Amino acid sequence: MPDPTPPAPNAPDQVGILIDGRPVVVTKGATVLQAAETIGLEIPHYCYHPGLSIAGNCRMCLVEIEKMPKLQIGCATVASQGMVVQSTTERVRRTREGIMEFLLINHPLDCPICDQAGECRLQQYEAAYGAGFSRFTEEKVHFPKRVALGRHVVFDAERCIKCTCCIRFCDEVSGSHELGLFQRGDHSIIGTFPGRPLDDAYSGCTVDVCPVGALTLKEFRFKARVWFLKDVPSVCGGCARGCSVNLATYRNAIHRITPRVNMDVNRHWICDAGRLSHRALDERPRFESPRVRPAPGAGPAGGGPPPDVAHDRGIDAAADLLRAVKERAGAGGLAALVSARLTVEDLRLAVRALAETIGIPRLAVPPHEEGEDDHLLIRKDRTPNVRGAALVGPGAPHAGRVREILDDVTAGRVKGLVVVGEDPVGEGLLAAEAVRSLQALVVIDWWRSPTVEAAHVAIPSCGYGEFEGVFVSFEGRAQRARAALKPRGHVDPVWRILQDLGHRFGLAATYPSASAVFDEVAASVPAFAGLSYRALGSLGAALKVT
Amino acid sequence: MAYEPLLLRNVGKPGSETIDVYLASGGYQGLRRVVKEFAPEKFVEEVKAAGLRGRGGAGFPTGMKWGFLPKTKDRPRYLCVNADESEPGTFKDRLLIEKDPHLVLEGIILSAFAIECHTAFFYIRGEFHTGYRTFAKAIEEARAKGFLGKNILGSGYDLDLILYRGAGAYICGEETALLESLEGKRGLPRIKPPFPAVVGLYGCPTIINNVETLANVTLIAERGASWYAGLGRPPKNTGPKLYCVSGHVKRPGVYEAPLGIPLMELIQERAGGLVHPDRPLKAVVPGGSSMRVLPATKCDVLMDFDSLIAAGSMLGSAGVIVMDSGTCMVWALLSLARFYAHESCGQCTPCREGTGWFVKVLERIERGEGRPGDVDLLIDVASRVEGNTICPFGEAIAWPVDSYARVFREEFEDHVAHGTCPIGATAAR
Amino acid sequence: MIPVHPETDRRIDELKAGFPHAGSALLPALYLIQEEKGSIPEEAMVYVAEKIGVSPAFVAGVVSFYTLFHPRPVGRHHIQVCRTLPCALRGCGEILAHLSKRLGIKEGETTPDGRFSLVAVECLGACDTAPMMQINDQEHGHLDRAKVDAILESLR
Repeated sequence: MPDPTPPAPNAPDQVGILIDGRPVVVTKGATVLQAAETIGLEIPHYCYHPGLSIAGNCRMCLVEIEKMPKLQIGCATVASQGMVVQSTTERVRRTREGIMEFLLINHPLDCPICDQAGECRLQQYEAAYGAGFSRFTEEKVHFPKRVALGRHVVFDAERCIKCTCCIRFCDEVSGSHELGLFQRGDHSIIGTFPGRPLDDAYSGCTVDVCPVGALTLKEFRFKARVWFLKDVPSVCGGCARGCSVNLATYRNAIHRITPRVNMDVNRHWICDAGRLSHRALDERPRFESPRVRPAPGAGPAGGGPPPDVAHDRGIDAAADLLRAVKERAGAGGLAALVSARLTVEDLRLAVRALAETIGIPRLAVPPHEEGEDDHLLIRKDRTPNVRGAALVGPGAPHAGRVREILDDVTAGRVKGLVVVGEDPVGEGLLAAEAVRSLQALVVIDWWRSPTVEAAHVAIPSCGYGEFEGVFVSFEGRAQRARAALKPRGHVDPVWRILQDLGHRFGLAATYPSASAVFDEVAASVPAFAGLSYRALGSLGAALKVT
Repeated sequence: MAYEPLLLRNVGKPGSETIDVYLASGGYQGLRRVVKEFAPEKFVEEVKAAGLRGRGGAGFPTGMKWGFLPKTKDRPRYLCVNADESEPGTFKDRLLIEKDPHLVLEGIILSAFAIECHTAFFYIRGEFHTGYRTFAKAIEEARAKGFLGKNILGSGYDLDLILYRGAGAYICGEETALLESLEGKRGLPRIKPPFPAVVGLYGCPTIINNVETLANVTLIAERGASWYAGLGRPPKNTGPKLYCVSGHVKRPGVYEAPLGIPLMELIQERAGGLVHPDRPLKAVVPGGSSMRVLPATKCDVLMDFDSLIAAGSMLGSAGVIVMDSGTCMVWALLSLARFYAHESCGQCTPCREGTGWFVKVLERIERGEGRPGDVDLLIDVASRVEGNTICPFGEAIAWPVDSYARVFREEFEDHVAHGTCPIGATAAR
Repeated sequence: MIPVHPETDRRIDELKAGFPHAGSALLPALYLIQEEKGSIPEEAMVYVAEKIGVSPAFVAGVVSFYTLFHPRPVGRHHIQVCRTLPCALRGCGEILAHLSKRLGIKEGETTPDGRFSLVAVECLGACDTAPMMQINDQEHGHLDRAKVDAILESLR
């Protein structure tokens, strides 16, 4: 059988090469390692990362290239037309075995206590390419272990293989330049300058890029073995960027959040706040069934925990209160605050139920802005669905309209307030006396906020990670947030609660699922035309907005 | 007929480092001739025709290296002089810098002219304090006389030369590590390609040349390529060469000879022979510590680039280290292994981890705790380093380990088996 | 308040202006700081980082890479004995042991009065004068015990 020949390129900006006899056509500029990736062949590597510059220091990706006497690193060798690459020869095998041996001679046998176990490239490549035993019988080089580099990142210098991914991340992506490489030879060690810890807003990404267990996340250390974790793809709800994430779940809890690659949004990164946003689920007090206070005027709103009632009873109580206000003070006596943290589905039902069915004339969306947009991912708008609110209703955040409503509450012109996903009491926007003057404070939220505590009727809703729904980022990209957890008690997503409430006032629609709500939005809101959960896939879709 | 020194012609004269003495002996005539009679490209051809090969260690043809510069001039070009001489056993560049700096300086100006660069850097190792002061003075003298600066000798050619001190790192003698250091960073070698001639200092086309190489450029400018090409062992090993002899010889020092002098002549006649009459020759490192060691039985060799490659070693930096029979080769290798472990930049896996490993194994053998298989282990591990590193430092450690352990295997095995040095060598420790 | 003399600060500015890229001024600037202060303490690293436009971690990485930069002060007479093969072949081990005994300190240490520090260093490129040492910026070759004693005496 004749030797295979390198394929001819299909276009002037492509080159054709052979890798282990297999033809590969790639865009000019692609490296041998990247070309191999396109045919599902992984050339082993440590220091290469697609989001960082090429370092070429681990030497694990050395391969044989015809006409070149020395082995070449695949991560840095640009594929040229007709190149013939061999990655399975004895020479390459021996070299990989050698590199593995070198990497492990000073590496501590920490696997039993190392977080990286199960997703560690030293383990993977030793199993695949290593000799399986060590010839090193000397004293290993010793370094400090468990050094707190910053608030979130713990460093074990003995495990470090000096690939410099972390340093390159801080220099090239986050721009913090807080990590340096000190000393030289086998005493090289990465670290921070005294008094200047690794505390930029993306420090957790250094843990992602570290191929071994040298850098670990303090909040995840020793929490769970990665092979028990199940990754659920989702989108972060921390700000208007909408970074794609993986929610790693185990025993009905999120143990960590890691970035999911999305070249159109967050590439390979997420910020620390987003990475740790799941902790609020554990840290904030929850409630598992509706809480209904005795009739208004029966006592101060803060007196003792109200009794829990079944879901339907809660919805009925809320409906009764609102109806009573409407009869006494007219529709104008009702108002609602609706959050831009809610999903497109939630907001759709907010408009249908609250505005169109119950007839609440004013729905305002409170803005939540903090700081400035940074150079990388963080948006000062800390809500994930401002554009959703603008497109689907009730509208873009408007501080003025919110203020108007709250002033009217204080002045006694608004007697019934529905609050969905917001906490004006806790944020100091709604004073205790104003709350007391209300005849109906109906609150839907996922946690037992001060506003929930003050409510006449509070209905628990799903928290982050417990609902299916769509967020639209500031750039107009719609992405799915996925349900990774089952909440405790009878807890519904906001859209279903609003639907139930709407039913009490004659709302006809009964959507069987969030997906059905989204399909309806796609059918009626031009920006969402043609979309569905399936069409959104795992990376979302850009809406047709100008 | 006694050999007339060319490179060392002024060394020994009082005030040899001054421009007056240099001018009086015909200095800067080459520069005058070239800037008047040669277009830059033509002088590049001249250096090619002379067959000059780099004197820093690699022996790469100098004119060919210059020819790698891209033809476009959209970015400035730089010339960096590698005066980081740190290869153990090498001390020839220091001699030129301290005793005839203008010979080197003239070569720098000529080379910068040839490659059309207007800013050159003289990277000198930080430990060469005298050299630094001497060269700084030489630069001032040259400027004052119009050999450096604007409109050199009325030719319209400008050249600025910046003196730059290294700060104690052997690896900065590697050309890309030198560039990194010049740019104000840790001296970590760069992956190649791209090569410095295309992407070098500040990302611009850069040529790095050794001090002695540049001194040779002066000779070529003075007397022409065909004269130069007749010296040494033409066609591939031309010119005069400075040889450094150290170790167990009566007269350690720098000796100039045409390229290709027999090694034994260098040792016995020029360097006065072995220092201990009752200890015969045992081993010679012919080209700086990074080159494979030759046993006494293989020292019947000519000291030029190609002859030494054929003999299984290399000319390298021409640092000849002579070891007599009182030398324990395990101990000698350990000394070198410690050097390489100390100087490894730590960037790439095989060198960073391998250098430390060699030291530990050799120390164990030295203190009598060698184990069967240690010698094979050393040779095998060296083979996993060689060829797999970012820069030639990998070979620089692998070759000594491999060659000492192979050539003196019996001695190594004896040391391992008996837990003591078979030589009983203690004098040199 | 900068941690260096205004003259040093001015000279560093001059250095920056003298290179095609200011980054190259880092090594010479570190030498100037060390010349003035005897070492390069942390606050000086922070200062020079800002001057050059790099991070303090970067500067610390540079300082720790090069053996001639001292983050902590060395003795007034910094004795550097070459220990690489050519000098080892000519007895540098003995010289080092002798110095250690005479000064009462181990290799790597400084005398309590701060006058002498002793380190073994790698090849200084003076193998023809082996065994040799460098004290600050002066070289002393062809050493034997007597010569070492004489040199130490002259430094008292």
